Amino acid sequence: MKVVEINDVCKTYHDTEIEVKAVNGVTLSFEKGDFAVIVGPSGSGKTTLLNLIGGLDQPTAGEIIVAGHRLSELRPSELIDFRMEHVGFVFQSYNLIPVLTASENVGFILNLQKWPKEKRQARTEEMLASVGLSDRRNSRPSQLSGGQQQRVAVARALAPRPEFILADEPTANLDSKSAESLLDIMEKLNHEEQMTFIFSTHDARVMKRARRVITLEDGKVVSDKRTNHNS
Amino acid sequence: MKDYQLAWKNLWRNRKRTLITAASVFFAVFLALIMRSFQLGTYQKLYRDVIESYSGYLQLQNSEYLDEPGLDNGFTVDDSLIVRLEADPEVTAVIPRLESFALAASGSRTQGVMVIGMDPGKEHDGLNLRNRMVRYKLTPGAVASIKSEVLPARSIKLLDLLMNESYTNEEKLLLDLGLSPGDSARYLPMLREHTSFSNGYLNPSDTASAIIGSGLSEYLQAGVGDTLVLMGQGYHGTSAAGLFVIKGIVSLPTPDIDNVFVYLPIEAARWLYAAPGMATSAIINIRNSEDRELFRTQGRLNAVAGGELKVRNWKELNALLLNQMEADNKSGAIMLGILYLVIAFGVFGTVLMMLAERRREFGMLVSIGMQKHRLAKVVSLEMLMIGLLGVLAGVAASLPFVFYGNARPLRFRGEMAKMYEDYGFEAVMPMLQPDSYYLWQVAIVLLIIAVAVAFSVRKIFKLNVINALRA
Amino acid sequence: MITSIAWKNVWRNKTRSLTVIAAVTVGVFAGVFSMAAINSSIVQRIDAAVNEELSHIQVNNKEFRSSGDLRDYIGDPGAVISRLEQTEGVTDVTGRIIVRGMASTSAGSSAVEITGINIEKELEMFSISGRLIPGTGSYFGSDTRLNSVFIGEKLARELNIIRYIITPGSLEQLSGEGVPASVTEKLREIEGERFSTEKALTKALAGLLAMKEMKQYGLMIRESAWSYREGSKIILSFLDTDNHQTGAAFRISGIYRTNNDLFEALSVFVPEAELRELTGLNEGQYHRIIARLSDNDLTGSVTPIIKEALPELEVLSWKEIQTDLAMITDYINQIYGMFMVIILAALAFGIVNTMLMSVLERTRELGMLSAIGMNRRRIFVMIMLESIFLSIVGGFAGMGISAAVIGITGKTGINLVKYAEGMEAFGYSANLYPTIGADFFIMLTVMIVITGILSAIYPARKALQLNPVEALRGE
Repeated sequence: MKVVEINDVCKTYHDTEIEVKAVNGVTLSFEKGDFAVIVGPSGSGKTTLLNLIGGLDQPTAGEIIVAGHRLSELRPSELIDFRMEHVGFVFQSYNLIPVLTASENVGFILNLQKWPKEKRQARTEEMLASVGLSDRRNSRPSQLSGGQQQRVAVARALAPRPEFILADEPTANLDSKSAESLLDIMEKLNHEEQMTFIFSTHDARVMKRARRVITLEDGKVVSDKRTNHNS
Repeated sequence: MKDYQLAWKNLWRNRKRTLITAASVFFAVFLALIMRSFQLGTYQKLYRDVIESYSGYLQLQNSEYLDEPGLDNGFTVDDSLIVRLEADPEVTAVIPRLESFALAASGSRTQGVMVIGMDPGKEHDGLNLRNRMVRYKLTPGAVASIKSEVLPARSIKLLDLLMNESYTNEEKLLLDLGLSPGDSARYLPMLREHTSFSNGYLNPSDTASAIIGSGLSEYLQAGVGDTLVLMGQGYHGTSAAGLFVIKGIVSLPTPDIDNVFVYLPIEAARWLYAAPGMATSAIINIRNSEDRELFRTQGRLNAVAGGELKVRNWKELNALLLNQMEADNKSGAIMLGILYLVIAFGVFGTVLMMLAERRREFGMLVSIGMQKHRLAKVVSLEMLMIGLLGVLAGVAASLPFVFYGNARPLRFRGEMAKMYEDYGFEAVMPMLQPDSYYLWQVAIVLLIIAVAVAFSVRKIFKLNVINALRA
Repeated sequence: MITSIAWKNVWRNKTRSLTVIAAVTVGVFAGVFSMAAINSSIVQRIDAAVNEELSHIQVNNKEFRSSGDLRDYIGDPGAVISRLEQTEGVTDVTGRIIVRGMASTSAGSSAVEITGINIEKELEMFSISGRLIPGTGSYFGSDTRLNSVFIGEKLARELNIIRYIITPGSLEQLSGEGVPASVTEKLREIEGERFSTEKALTKALAGLLAMKEMKQYGLMIRESAWSYREGSKIILSFLDTDNHQTGAAFRISGIYRTNNDLFEALSVFVPEAELRELTGLNEGQYHRIIARLSDNDLTGSVTPIIKEALPELEVLSWKEIQTDLAMITDYINQIYGMFMVIILAALAFGIVNTMLMSVLERTRELGMLSAIGMNRRRIFVMIMLESIFLSIVGGFAGMGISAAVIGITGKTGINLVKYAEGMEAFGYSANLYPTIGADFFIMLTVMIVITGILSAIYPARKALQLNPVEALRGE
C-alpha cells in the first residue's frame, strides 16, 4: 500500500538573484513498512525533500500525496493540522519540550489530538515500554542522555500512529552504543507496528540497517535500491 | 573604528530591543515633563495671582504682624523711612496699606469682608486694580438681549452658563463665549453694546467711596451707586462703623479674593478704624522680582528698616498657600517617582537580558584581544546612547505641548470649573515653559542609566572568558 | 495542557522572570497604596462633612442661602418635619435657626455663622459633640443662666481665647511623658508666661532649646502648654428681625476640634431658645430643617423623593451643597485610574522586552512544535498565557503586599504632620488611614490581565512568523 506518493516534485529557491533548484524532478513512492534512507552529499536536497514529504514545505511544482491529501492544495494552517495527524518527526536534536517530563512529551501529540485521558495514558505507557524507558517516565529531558532523549522522541512520534515517521539525522549526535540502541528500537517498531520509517542520513550505521537506499544528487534521484536484510 | 561608532552599530544589531528600551525611557520622560509642566505651571500662576493682586513681592510690616495680623500690630507711617527705603536702587515705590476685617451689609445681607485701605493714585501698588475694573458684564438683561442677536449656537448655549460673569477685558469675554479673535470684528461691537458696564475708580480724596469685588457685589446684591455699611473693630478695640457708596466693581482672579475684598482710599480706612497715620503693611515695589535678587533686596531693606519693622517676602506672606502647594508638589513627585522606579526596573531587566545574550560575544572579543576596559566602555556608551535617545525623543515630543499649553492654558468648564472655584482657584491649568525641571528629568534618567552601566561594567570585568565562550 | 506548559515556561529563566515580576509587584503596590491613601483622605472628609457639618439632606427657604436674611424662614416647618419623618430612610429630623454675624473679644473679631440648635436632637444626629476638646467644658452640659455657645478651635485661636502657658502642671505632665529633666528645667524660664499664639510660644521655645530638642519634644510641649480658661466669654453681634444691630455676651460652653479649619472658624452653635429671644424669631420659625439618613448611599434615592414632596422649598443633599465632595471622589478615581494605566503601560515595555527575548531564544523549539503539529492558535495562546502569568504573578504579589500594608496602616494611620496646616485649611485630615474598596482590586486584576495580553501581541506575532523549516535548521 502506498503511503507517500511523490510525483515529479520540484522545489526552487530564489536566493537573491540566483535560482537554486534544491529538488529537481523527483518521483518516488513509499510503501507501508518501508525502512528507507535518503542519502547524498551536502546540498543534494535530502533535507529539502524530507521537508516536502513531511509537509513542512510545499513543492514549487509536482505533487505529493499522503493519505489521500494533496499537499500542494493545503493552506499553511492546514498543513500544521496535517502534520499533527499524519506525520511523525524525529529530529537530530531539540526534539523534546524541555519543561515536560518524558511521559508528558510522549503524550504531547495525543493531547493535541484531544485523546481522552485514560486512552492517552495507556498509549503513553505502551510507547515508553516499547522504547524501554518506562522507569524514566517522570524525568525531564535535561535528566536524560542523548540516546534516551532520541528514544523518547521516537515514542512520541509513534504514539498517534502516523502514516510514517520522518527522521532527519537522528543518530548524528549519538555515540555508537546509543546509536545502535536507537536503531534497534526503530527496527523493532518497524516490524511490530508495520510503521514506515524514512530517514535522511550520512551515518553509515543507519545506511547499513536500511532496506531501501535512495541516493540523491543535485536534487535528483540517482539510485533507489531495495536490499534484503535479515532483521 | 572609534568606540562610539562601534557602540552605535551594536545598538542597531538588535534593533527591536533597542527601540523598545528607548521607547520606555521616552514614555517616562514625556509623561514626566507634561505632568510637571502642568503642576509647576499651576503653582506659578497661583503664586503670581496672589502676588499681583494682593501680597506683592515684599511688604514692610510690624515684626509681630506676620504671626498676629490685626490692627493693633500696625505701625505709624514714618515718611523719612519711606524715603530711605525708596532710595534703594531696586525699589521703585513704597506704598502703605491699612487692612482689617469688617462686616459689610447692604440691605439685609451681610458678609464678612477684608477691607483694604490703599492709595488709588499709585498704580503699581501690588493690587493692580485699574486693570481689574469690570468692563463687561453678562447681566440677565444683557444675556436676554444678546440672545436675540446673531451669534453661533454654541455661544448662545454658553451664555446661560456664564450668567452674571464679569469681565475686565474683551479677550476673555470672547474666549469664554467660544469665539475666536478672528470673530472679534463681527461680534465685539454688538457685545460691547449690551454688556458694557459703567464703572468708576477711586480718588485719594474720596472719603466715603469704595470699590468691591464682583463676587461680593453679586452676593450683597449691591452695585455701583449702592450704599455699603461697614462695621468692625477699630484700633485698640474701638468700635468702627461707616457708610460708603460703591463707586466701582473689580473682578479678581480667584474667588477667594473676589468674594470678600473691599477697597477704600487709605484715609477713609484710617478714619473708619480710628487709626490716623497708620498702616498694617507697606507694599514695596521692586524692579527685579526673581528670587535670588529678591532675597538680597530684602536683606538690604531690613537693615534700613531695623528694629520693630521687618520686610517680608512673598513666601513668608503666603505661607499657607505654599504649604498646600508643597503638599501637592510632593504627591506629584511621588507619582513620578513610582513611574521612574518602574521604568528603571524595565531598563535594568533589559540590560540583564542583553548581557546574558551577548556573553558569548563578549567572551570572544576578549579572547581575541579586546581589553576589558574597552569593552566596558563600548557597552556603557551603548546604554548611554539608548538613554539619550529616549530622553531626546521625550523632550522633543513634549516641547510643542508645553509651549502651546503655556501660551493658551487649558480652561475648565462646567462642573470641573465649579469645583476648582469652590476651593478658591481659578479654573485654569497652564503649563510652565521649559525650565530647570527639564534638566531634572534628564538627570534622573541619566542616574538610572548610570546604575545600569555600573552593573554592566562590573559584570564585564568579572567575566570568565572560557565560561563565556561556552555559552 | 497549554496552560501548564506556559506556566512552566515562565520559570525557565528564573532571573529574568523574577526581575519583571518584581517590577510589576513594585508598580502595582505603589499605585494601589497611594490610591488607598488618597481615597481614605476623601472618605474621611465625606464622613466628617456628613456627620459633623451637613448631615444628609437640608431643606431651606428658597431665598435663604443667597440672601442670608433672617426673615427668610421656612413657612410651615411642622409639616416639613413630619413629611421628612415619614420618608423611608430618614432616621432623624431637626430644625435650625441660622444667623450671620460677628464674634468678638477684646483681641479681635471674626465673621461667623451662628446656628441655633435643638441640643438633644442634634446630639443624636451630629457627632460634633464628640469633637469636644477635653478640658474645655462640655457640649452644653452645665447649667447656666448666661447664654452659652459652642465654638471651634480655629475661631478660639483667632479670638485669642486659647493661650499657651507652661504651668507646673504641664511640666509635670511632660516629665510623666518622658521628657528629660534637662529640657523641663530650661522651660522653667518661661513658666507662667502667657503666649497668645502657638507661634509666639514656638519662638520663645526656639530661644531656649536646641534644634534637636525642639524637633523631638516641641509638639509635646506645645500640647501641654495649651490652655484655655473655662467659661471665657465672647460677644456675638448680628441683626435682628427688625434689622437692628443686636447681640449679647455668650459664655463658651466648650471648644471643638475638627479637621476643617473653615468650619471651625465659621460655625458657632447656641441653644435655639437663646437665639430666638435675641433675634425676635418666633417659636416654630426655622431657617433650615435637616434630615439624617440611615446610610450615605441612600442619598441619591431619597433626595428626589423629598424634592418632589416639598416643591416650594429648596431641598439639597450634601452632595449638592458641597458639590466638590461628590465630584472629588470621581475626579480622584479618574486620576488614579489613569495613573494605574500609566504604570501598567510602563511595565508593559518591560514585559514585551522579556517575552521577546524569551521567544527569540526558543526559535528552534517553536519550530519543532509547529513541525509536530502545534497550530498557530495554540502557539499564540501559549505565548499570551506566559505573558499573562508574568503580569498576574507580579500583580497578585503587588496587590497582596498592598492589602497587607493597607490593613496595617489603616489601623495605625499615616501622619503627614508637615502638611497638616495646608490640608486642614481645605478640610482634610493630615492623618491618613488608607482604605480601598474590594471592587478596586477586581478592576485592577482585569487591567493587569489586559496588560499581559497586550504585551504578548508583538512577541507572539514574532513567534508565529517563524518558518519551521528555517527554525529547524541545524546548528
